[in-house]
Amino acid sequence: MTGPAADWLELLRYPFMQRALLAGLLSGSLGGLLGSVAVLRQLSFFSDALGHSALLGISLGVLLGVEPTVVLIPFAALFALVVAQLVERSQLPSDALLNIVYSSSLAIAVVVLRLLSARAGSLEQLLFGDILAVSWGDLAQQALLLAAVLLYLLLTRRAQILVSLDQGLAVSQGVAVGRQRLLFVMVLAVVVALSIKAVGVLLISAFVVIPACSARLISSSFAVYVPLASGIGAGCGVLGLLASGAFSLPSGPCVVIVQLISFLLALLIRSRRQPIRAGVSAAAPAPPSPG
Amino acid sequence: MLTTVPTPTSVPVPSPDPSPARSADTVLEVEGLTVGWGAAAAERPAVETVSFRLAAETDTALVGPNGAGKSTLVQAVLGILPRQAGTVRVLGAPLSASGRLPAAVRAQVAYLPQQLSVSGRFPLTVAEAVGLGWEPSGLRLAWAGRRGRGAAVRVALERTGCADLAGRLISELSTGQWKRVLLAFCVVRPRRLLVLDEAQAGLDPQAADQFLRLLFDLRRSEGWAVLQISHDLEMVRRTCDRVLCLNRSLRCQGSPEIALSPAQLERLYGRGYVPYHHHHTRP
Repeated sequence: MTGPAADWLELLRYPFMQRALLAGLLSGSLGGLLGSVAVLRQLSFFSDALGHSALLGISLGVLLGVEPTVVLIPFAALFALVVAQLVERSQLPSDALLNIVYSSSLAIAVVVLRLLSARAGSLEQLLFGDILAVSWGDLAQQALLLAAVLLYLLLTRRAQILVSLDQGLAVSQGVAVGRQRLLFVMVLAVVVALSIKAVGVLLISAFVVIPACSARLISSSFAVYVPLASGIGAGCGVLGLLASGAFSLPSGPCVVIVQLISFLLALLIRSRRQPIRAGVSAAAPAPPSPG
Repeated sequence: MLTTVPTPTSVPVPSPDPSPARSADTVLEVEGLTVGWGAAAAERPAVETVSFRLAAETDTALVGPNGAGKSTLVQAVLGILPRQAGTVRVLGAPLSASGRLPAAVRAQVAYLPQQLSVSGRFPLTVAEAVGLGWEPSGLRLAWAGRRGRGAAVRVALERTGCADLAGRLISELSTGQWKRVLLAFCVVRPRRLLVLDEAQAGLDPQAADQFLRLLFDLRRSEGWAVLQISHDLEMVRRTCDRVLCLNRSLRCQGSPEIALSPAQLERLYGRGYVPYHHHHTRP
């Protein structure tokens, strides 16, 4: 066999590529899964801000001489906690507050990393990630995280939907809204922190937001929406990495470009009014009625 | 300018039974409730020292001018808003300072908010949304009790005239349809207390009448207590057992004949008030 197909098969023999494909599958699936709730909760910008601010956490790790991931998880969790409190207490719009926090964090982080000459050269790697450098240990970590997030969302599905719909309604139905909101942003923070290595600071929010938005456009029920978002994320992760390997292009940006294509396809499907239908427990859908 | 409009005859709704309630069970007790927030809360709370009780099988209206604190009061009663002072007991259980009730008691309470706007395309069907009202609070796997939930959802949608909407996304509904779906959410399981915040606003006359009939059934057949905020004083006069008149504090409470007398209304809404009657006609 010759040509591009042979090149791809050759590429798949390399352990680093096998690991990268698994990482794409896991991180894409994880991003889509969590993103499906984050976009309903209007937390898209939060994940973006969290990703950018994570660079400050990484620079702190470098400064302290410890593994950046060890610093990143508590940093991201602290960031989520502080921002949630700021939004609640300052009475300023959350997008403005997030902008202040993330741009300041990014600025400080870049300056610190530049001052630390030993790490300055790898700034691009931090910004865009290096999925090809993912180890088996990282993969095990991501697989555990995916299982934990899946269980968390399965168990709290009702609370997640009610909080996304209306907080008053959620409280009246016995949902501890404050605790649920905080727990969700903490989980989001941990996922972002652990995905930074593979995906990069600048592109992490795309992993959370784009697959979920694509699924939101074409899902006709919640039962379809969440698995579809996760599936789109996983599929884009694998396809993007294959494209990256075949054309020797940076992996993170390739995955995001495939995610963009999936979003455009979803837009097209939506515009042709072909939503994916799922079986619902009540009566069959009826044509739109006025009023 | 507000004008007096004669109320046309609509589909007759059973009038309140003047005989004493079959059960005098107290469902809700509110004592000295004061609610406020921000720097001015201590000087001028939104709601001040309100006390009342709701018995089973009764329909109580909460009326008052805009800004009187009606929504604030019901949200504090439900634990959505914090309270500055006072106590709230639902079915004998005290509402904690943080708005918590025992899960078994909380499951007996339903609330239909005044506004619930869904932002953008929300991938949740009407059947799924109503099913959330059936599920108990707490950790639970998505597929637990699926068969029982499906049956309960079908019944609730039929009771509220929403059976044809089951497969529609909630973000595709009109305001009136959404209100009916939320009512289905409330009635999908047996409860003891239903709190409605201007539930009938946005409903067409037919849906409004169906709504009133359902409320009557819930009270008389299933023993629910209803607390509803309304500006439709004519409807309140026709269907409610009791009226609470609120303007930051309770100005009066009693039967509709007493609480909605011209003198009391002028006291509540101000001098020169002319009652507006909602126009219920068939298209």
